[in-house]
Amino acid sequence: MIIEDWESTDLSLLETLDHVLNRGLVIAGEVTISVADIDLIYLGLNVMVSSVETAHKVLRKRQTK
Amino acid sequence: MKLYLYCLLEGIAQLDQLPQGISNAPVRLLPIDDLAVLVSDVDKDAVAVTRETALAHAAVVRSVLDRTTPLPFRFGTLVSEEQLRSYLSTRKPALENNLRLVRGCVEMGVKIIWSISNNDPHEQQLSDEKQGAGARFLEEKRREILGDERRSAQATEISGWLHESIGELIRDEHVAVRPSEKLVLTAAHLVERNKIRQYREKIAEARASRPDLHFLMSGPWPPYTFANIELEFKTRFGVS
Amino acid sequence: MKLSPENPLSAEPEIETAHVEEFVEQLRCVTDTLPSRINIDAHSVEQGLAKLVLTLIEFIRRLLEKQAVRRMEGGELSPEQIEELGLALMRLEAKLQELKTQFGLADEDLNLDLGPVGRLI
Repeated sequence: MIIEDWESTDLSLLETLDHVLNRGLVIAGEVTISVADIDLIYLGLNVMVSSVETAHKVLRKRQTK
Repeated sequence: MKLYLYCLLEGIAQLDQLPQGISNAPVRLLPIDDLAVLVSDVDKDAVAVTRETALAHAAVVRSVLDRTTPLPFRFGTLVSEEQLRSYLSTRKPALENNLRLVRGCVEMGVKIIWSISNNDPHEQQLSDEKQGAGARFLEEKRREILGDERRSAQATEISGWLHESIGELIRDEHVAVRPSEKLVLTAAHLVERNKIRQYREKIAEARASRPDLHFLMSGPWPPYTFANIELEFKTRFGVS
Repeated sequence: MKLSPENPLSAEPEIETAHVEEFVEQLRCVTDTLPSRINIDAHSVEQGLAKLVLTLIEFIRRLLEKQAVRRMEGGELSPEQIEELGLALMRLEAKLQELKTQFGLADEDLNLDLGPVGRLI
């Protein structure tokens, strides 16, 4: 996702953005680090989706050599 | 070629009249096992957030709301078909559970802000000439912290009051209490379709009874706030 | 809103408020603080790390302030100690402000979204 610089004072657009950008299903590696059953750090690793794919490609290449 | 994902649906054979998607790409229904995903084929690695793309995403997701309740994907979800299938197969039970939870419902939103800037004038103290800069600094912080605690308590009370007002009409809720300067709380309510009118009436009543607060109501939305499933795995530190 | 063929659920959601400007101001932070979670070039990784580090320091700084105030209220500190503590915390606040400026970060940038737990600050 590329985030561009922009301004808006359109309330309905802002509400829409609040929903589509901050919520919804996330396909990603999600990691919770918890201490004593309390979730402390929640990492939404969206970047991981493409990184993992690249890693797999590299591994496959190595294996076929 | 990647897939841009809009939303996940319970098995639907076909959908007519789907709107145009991101960058005018056509939207199609991709069945996977007994679920289905609305997708567009996109030849990019990333999608820019613009007014047009955000609105297009929202339009596609809500276009199915008359027929079924989808689980919306977050904006910008761009994956290969393989990644999508892998995701669906590993998380199937959680996703099906979520689909069941939101079935027949829509999301209604309530945001509340204070109507007056919540600074208690009584807290103002006469500055003591004898106090040094450090002491004055701490005094100022003390006042700020007291203000924060007061607002926090009030926000919690308001959250409880809101829940009492519409608790019976909702299937689930997601409330974030944010006693910052202006915003009190943001709430998302999962409301069954046949209860929307009652819900709105109740909210209107509640709103009228609190002139000290300003309200924003929005909806109906597809259940964006209720879509995300439990986190996949946890790493525990051995501290108890 | 009446549900009818002319006003189906798939119509655009209604937004209703008597205070548009105030809510616009609040919602602006949605776009103002979009996390650069997908940008992975070197500069944003640096930015991201700076944000993370400064957020944590800011969190600790606020805890220290709260601690100091509590001890002051509890009468545990002498006037000299209060003055010293206050000055030290003042300098800490100023230093952090300097760092924020250096990295081009605003107050709103320093916050960690802890998912289900809420925000850090």
